[in-house]
Amino acid sequence: MPRQRRARLGARGLALVEDSPLRWADPRAKLALSLCASLAVMLPLKQLAVFMAAFAGLLLWARLLPEAARQVWRLKWILLALFLLDWLLVSLDLAVIITLRLALLAGAFSLFFASTMPGELRLALEWLRLPYRYAFSLSLAFQSLELLGDEWRAILEAQQARGAWTPPTGWRNLSGRLRDLVSLTVPAITLAAKRAWSMTEAAYARGFDSPHRQPYRRLAWRPLDTWLLIGSVAAMAALLIWRYTTAWNG
Amino acid sequence: MSIALRAEGLSYAYPQQGLGLAATDFAAAAGETWVVTGPSGCGKSTLARCLAGLIPHLYRGQMGGRVWVGDLRTDQAELWQLAERVGLVFQNPALQCLASTVEEELAFGLENLGLPRAEIASRIATGLERFGLAELAGRAPHTLSGGEQQRLMLAAALAREPGALVLDEPLSMLDSAAATQFVADVAALAAQGATVVVCEHRDAYFHGGAVRRYAMPGRWSPADLPHPPPLPLTAEAEVLIQGLALGHGERRLFANLDLRLRGGEVVALVGRNGVGKTTLLRALAGLHPHGGRIAAADGARPELGLMFQNPDWQIFNPTVRDEMRYRLASPDEALYAWALQALGLGAYEQTPPLLLSEGEKKRLALAILLMRRPRHGVLLDEPTLGQDDGHRAIMGGAARALAGAGYVVIAATHDLDWASRYADRLILLGRGRVLDDGPTAEVLGHPAAWREAGLVVPPWLRA
Repeated sequence: MPRQRRARLGARGLALVEDSPLRWADPRAKLALSLCASLAVMLPLKQLAVFMAAFAGLLLWARLLPEAARQVWRLKWILLALFLLDWLLVSLDLAVIITLRLALLAGAFSLFFASTMPGELRLALEWLRLPYRYAFSLSLAFQSLELLGDEWRAILEAQQARGAWTPPTGWRNLSGRLRDLVSLTVPAITLAAKRAWSMTEAAYARGFDSPHRQPYRRLAWRPLDTWLLIGSVAAMAALLIWRYTTAWNG
Repeated sequence: MSIALRAEGLSYAYPQQGLGLAATDFAAAAGETWVVTGPSGCGKSTLARCLAGLIPHLYRGQMGGRVWVGDLRTDQAELWQLAERVGLVFQNPALQCLASTVEEELAFGLENLGLPRAEIASRIATGLERFGLAELAGRAPHTLSGGEQQRLMLAAALAREPGALVLDEPLSMLDSAAATQFVADVAALAAQGATVVVCEHRDAYFHGGAVRRYAMPGRWSPADLPHPPPLPLTAEAEVLIQGLALGHGERRLFANLDLRLRGGEVVALVGRNGVGKTTLLRALAGLHPHGGRIAAADGARPELGLMFQNPDWQIFNPTVRDEMRYRLASPDEALYAWALQALGLGAYEQTPPLLLSEGEKKRLALAILLMRRPRHGVLLDEPTLGQDDGHRAIMGGAARALAGAGYVVIAATHDLDWASRYADRLILLGRGRVLDDGPTAEVLGHPAAWREAGLVVPPWLRA
């Protein structure tokens, strides 16, 4: 697979895959595609596995498979915990299907977020009739997630350097571990609040509350978007038919 | 069209911190350039926010007096109306970025003016060209250097063509070359007739007959410096760096760096933003992987405490006392008393650290690392960022005291005034190597090396 270009951040701080064929698709079409793919969580196990294989093929074509895999990998501990809990408390079948569903949801929305800039997300949200002030705040929050991640790593290092945080080793000294957590979360909250306030001031200093706002960028619907939408709706319909004509195994 | 800014009997008290600005009268006539100076906490930033109308619109404290932006009274006009007339640029450009590309950053303020798309495109192109940002148009603002980010913020404010511009500590994060360039940009703007008000500690960068000065009340005096007892620690430290290779992923910062750092001297590490000063300090502190060798005189890994650039990364305890003694089974009481006194923190022992000023937080960060008794020395990352003369003098005095006790003291800084006053030795970094190394006054007198480093020695520091 050719090396992917990740020059900027997409929405939600994911690496933006610049050379994906979906990069320049309309965000509304991509959102529809992601939502339709996420409906597959309703499928029974066998059909879900088939769908996931097909969806992985789509991600591969869109050059988004490595990024989606990275996002699923980030959830590995949650997935593992869910799997073990369901297996121990209910059954192996349920453990597998719940784990696959969560992985599918992460992958489905990676498709949108790894190919969409925060500004495009804002335009899509505005098109969905979300007031500008909320659409802007949401896109800014998504954009800031990566920065918050960097800040968290800096806090971790700074507290480790002064001995206020030690990497976890086993379950001993739980109270010490909780204190360690305070040493990380207090600075993180303080800095996040500072950043949020600074951004608020910067936005208002450039006329954020103006009633005369005119967007510079506009969404442009292209033939590819129509095909994506048709494909998404058809897939959703097929999924629903498949779901209700198949015995429920989940 | 330039606009006059006027404050009459202006005062402001913050809801929690109390008095932010004592009664002040200030007037900048249309087309004038003013530099507002004064110690930390005197209210420069509060004045800037009042002149732009953020106070009282976004703040819930008590404002007294009146402020006019042209013919608009700030407490009666809408904030967006004021923002159309006054541009405001803050201290930390990284915290002002609102968009995911440089181009969108410029577009944000223009969209809010309700301009037609063609006009927005034209102003973006002009702004990118004028501030040398055209090649960066598609880049994410947070990936730019500090100097580029601050230029972007100036471009974003000016693209809206405000009648007045208020700048709050715009130079504090910039190296000497970026600061000189920024001041030249502002001077060009003033020459075109804009009203400019700059609140700045590094006010020497703004000079020339057309610049007027307004000194806020409160003045630091050398008599205010603490007079601590001798440091209750001694060392005979030395650190050797041999063949050091350092970088971030595929990006190589230093390939084969050799340095000998002796105890007893304050060393200033100077270089452009992004040259690798912080990474070098992190490698010395054992926090960044590297090739080559870093060793103390006995061949062991040196124990060097790192004072991080942002003190907020470490602060979480309820009082200064708790913060300094956190996780220390038997704190050194003599050292604790010395640190409180030498770093000017004695009056704040029971104060929540989050309520300290930025300069005080920096000194608390130094106190925290000293309490852990690093064996060989301390590493200070931008110890004077955004601080006034008094805070810088206290930090300088502490650095000298530590060096006097035999410790290795290394400060990565772009504050050349501070380095010229307190550093015995200056190491100039650039192009992945040491460009010059020697006594501070001597290195400051080598213009060729500074040119190669892409930096400028301000005229008042030239030999």
